[in-house]
Amino acid sequence: MPLSAPAPSRPVGTFLAREALACVLTLASTTAACSGSARNPAGDEPGNHPAEVAAAAPYEPAGAVLPRLTTLQYQSSLRDLLGPDVPLLRTEADTNPYLFDSIGAASTTLSELGAEQYELSAEAVTQHVFSDPARRAALLGCQPARPGDPCVRDYLSRFGRRAFRRPLTGAELARWTDVSIALAEPDLWEGVRLATAGMLQSPYFLYRVELGLPDPEHPSRRVLTDHEMASRLSFFLWNTLPDEALLDAADAGELHDESSIYHHAVRLLSDDRARDAIQRYFAQYLDLGRLEGIQRDPETYPLFTPSMKSAMRREVELLVDHVVQEGGDARAIFSTRESFVSSELASLYGIDAPGATESTFVRATLPEERAGLLTLGAFLTMNAHETETSPTARGKYVRERVLCQEVEPPPPDVSTTLEPASGDAPATLRERLEEHRKNPACAGCHSFIDPPGLLFEHFDSIGAYREHYPGPLAIDATGDLDGVPLDGARDLADLLASDPRVGRCMVRQLFRHAHARRDEKGERPAIDDLTASFAAKGYDFRDLLLQLVTHESFRTLRADPNEVSP
Amino acid sequence: MKTRPLPRRTFLRGALGGTAVALGLPALEAMLPAGSASAAPLPPIFGLFFWANGMPWHVGHGPGHAFDETPDLWTPTTTGEGYEPSELLAPLSPYSISVVTGLTPKTEIPAVPPGQDDGHMRGFMVAMTGDRIRPEGFDLATHTLSALRPTLDQHVAKHPQFYADDKPPYGSLILGVSTARYHEYGHWNSISYNAPDSLNLPVCSPAELHGMLFGLPPSAELRLRRAALLDAVMADAKSLERRLGAADKARVDAHLTHLSEIQHRLTLTDTTCEAPDAPALSEDLHLKTGIMAELLCAALSCGLTRVFSFMLTSPGSTHVFDNLGVPNDMHSTCHGGEWEPVRKMTAYQMEAFAILLQKMQATKDPTGASLLDRSLVFGTTEYGEGWRHSVAEMSCILAGTANGKLRPNVHVRAPDGNFSIAHVTALRALGLDTPSFGWNGGETSEQFSDLLV
Repeated sequence: MPLSAPAPSRPVGTFLAREALACVLTLASTTAACSGSARNPAGDEPGNHPAEVAAAAPYEPAGAVLPRLTTLQYQSSLRDLLGPDVPLLRTEADTNPYLFDSIGAASTTLSELGAEQYELSAEAVTQHVFSDPARRAALLGCQPARPGDPCVRDYLSRFGRRAFRRPLTGAELARWTDVSIALAEPDLWEGVRLATAGMLQSPYFLYRVELGLPDPEHPSRRVLTDHEMASRLSFFLWNTLPDEALLDAADAGELHDESSIYHHAVRLLSDDRARDAIQRYFAQYLDLGRLEGIQRDPETYPLFTPSMKSAMRREVELLVDHVVQEGGDARAIFSTRESFVSSELASLYGIDAPGATESTFVRATLPEERAGLLTLGAFLTMNAHETETSPTARGKYVRERVLCQEVEPPPPDVSTTLEPASGDAPATLRERLEEHRKNPACAGCHSFIDPPGLLFEHFDSIGAYREHYPGPLAIDATGDLDGVPLDGARDLADLLASDPRVGRCMVRQLFRHAHARRDEKGERPAIDDLTASFAAKGYDFRDLLLQLVTHESFRTLRADPNEVSP
Repeated sequence: MKTRPLPRRTFLRGALGGTAVALGLPALEAMLPAGSASAAPLPPIFGLFFWANGMPWHVGHGPGHAFDETPDLWTPTTTGEGYEPSELLAPLSPYSISVVTGLTPKTEIPAVPPGQDDGHMRGFMVAMTGDRIRPEGFDLATHTLSALRPTLDQHVAKHPQFYADDKPPYGSLILGVSTARYHEYGHWNSISYNAPDSLNLPVCSPAELHGMLFGLPPSAELRLRRAALLDAVMADAKSLERRLGAADKARVDAHLTHLSEIQHRLTLTDTTCEAPDAPALSEDLHLKTGIMAELLCAALSCGLTRVFSFMLTSPGSTHVFDNLGVPNDMHSTCHGGEWEPVRKMTAYQMEAFAILLQKMQATKDPTGASLLDRSLVFGTTEYGEGWRHSVAEMSCILAGTANGKLRPNVHVRAPDGNFSIAHVTALRALGLDTPSFGWNGGETSEQFSDLLV
């Protein structure tokens, strides 16, 4: 099997199963398990004709999910609650089915080891604070005189509100106060510490409980409470707990109408935490983590220095940050001639970059043959083998990440390895792939993913430009995208710059990340709305974030949590 | 390792919030008179050893699964007791392992969703659970799958006869060596399931394992307070559970179960475990196997658990054996049809298995028996071969004697045999009532009687 797209996992038994089944039925009459080409080239959703879909079916919310905090969210929350220098112990690793940590957080079950790690972490962070009289006094803000006195109760009430992102119920406050009294040995501080450690292990802290209340206007729906909205906004835009101002807004009932949600979201977006959250989102969407596992032989690739991978990643981060923060057309990520290069990248691209060093990146215009992310070192390198490129992996990335189309893995009984060149005449990778496509079991998928992938053939396994394969054979970088003939990656970049599927795919990926699950059929009208407003605002990504958090789909849920979506 | 004697059953009482907490301690070697060879054997240990990507393919793997007549380097040419070990079994022969060859899954394969016949799915799940994958929610594109039931390690740990009422601090220890993963999620990251979506993630860091098992224990009083506060945490979890749909309720329910396990562990307030030295660190697969195995043996000998799983490499492992001169990751190399590198990597993995068995054999208890004598280590992999994922001729090793209940050094040849006959055999050797094992077409009540004493 090839390295494949990210995966699901939650819906075991819920919406995924249905989706997979639907896909199978459409394919039943086609040649192979490879489905991509067997489908509408636009993929499994009618992405290019939003108006038709909107007219056909009203928006139907999906059921609630229960994401556990991601590692970053957990750590940032601990810092917000207890101070910037709390010890951060190892906790259960994030997973990224369907590209995003958030989807992993909503679909995986915590392991026993993970629960034990939370116990040890709660112990360590509370020891850190409570073993220091100055720190604990600052945390409580008052001097407790005896176990369970008003100072302690007031602290537990405040800490609980912050940690659980809502006021504690009377019963909860009583429970945690009782813990602080019962365990006040050898002194009252120990009881307060342990009550704090307990709240840090509570599922109300560790999971994002956003279950809503019945919507009086729509019996089939639930609507998030103001406090749940504060939590959802904050974890989405900041990757941490809501701050006091946002909690106060929730207390005041300000987070259920669009204009005030907009107002608060603008404030959150202006903070560096949002900038960081956007970067982390793009790193997952663009799969930058995969660069870490890449190895290249330094003798074959002298340009591939030990720091090259981090330079490649940094370049994409700077490009994304630039495009997003400038408020320009976010789709330019796939077509802009501008980039940010270090001296190593300048050598790789064969350009002059005055002022660039290994650690200083300067803004530069890419050479003629390059434009956009799909011509940068990161994409070209992580979608190539050690010794030769992979038009298949590159085409698959274009299909899955840029256009949101699905590509099935090859059937298990075929070899995915190309036969080495044999016979008298040397054969190019293109010729060997064509041979591969003669097998009907392979043709279905490969005729879908290889033609765009072959457009990148001028770039070798580390993304350096080349005119020839090793040896005498000249590069042929012609190919096509859904029947549009193209020659080279620049042609593709120009096409993607105006392809409506790119903007819609950006919306859909963000939607999935925000909702911590795959989008469901009933949500297509919401994705249509967002796509339309994204286009209307010139594809400004920050504006898309605001549109998304103020859309009704961000605050509504299907009433019955067990109902399976169509 | 120093020990001090304890009464056979020790109770520690603490008063917390008005509740008396009574604590039972597990059977520990300290409870035995030192060097008393006549003492009854300590109860058996069960281990699961897993390696990735099967065997180098040969004609036995079926039509289309071999080329150039690549030889079968796994199946011994003779059967019965004292068989002649094959090339790939040779590293294990000093430990008198028994081996069953010819086994294959017998589970039915639903047509929908497609791909459930693939070895990564079917072979793995039958070897680990005796059942097929759960068809519901299986997604071939992303290789997402789940089990229908617990894996063999958890089946044993949760079998009412295995621990009875003498549960040690850890129901099981889940360890891993290589950290290379085909995917970071699901069974690609862990071979141990409690229940369909509830995985036991492996500890792959010796330092972390050492800290977890032998870290300086806080005072008994503190541990009891930490245990007590979990009651309030569990009350929160129960109040949340009532508001959830079935899928999330199951997730929180698993979390609740973990909390009670942790509470149980915290209330076991004394231990005879003398901490081994802080472990060395190495990413060399053999060295790291030895380091993890030593920590495991220390934990087993002082009674921290009696069940373990040891995932040398993960299913479909992308481990790069550059030390063997293989440049590409193992999974890709298998699919590349590169038989000779696969032979080398498989032999290397068997040598790693031998390192674990050697450490277990070298660790003796006060009765003079070795950990390996007490144990049954069930060694297996995910399919017959990794080139085209045939599930014919799957590997199955039974090492140790389970306190003399399992016959060592025997080769049983069972062409096209039901893999779950090996499960039944292993479970009966451990003394666990097992009328049958296997599901969805894989059911069997048979055993390999040649392997049982």
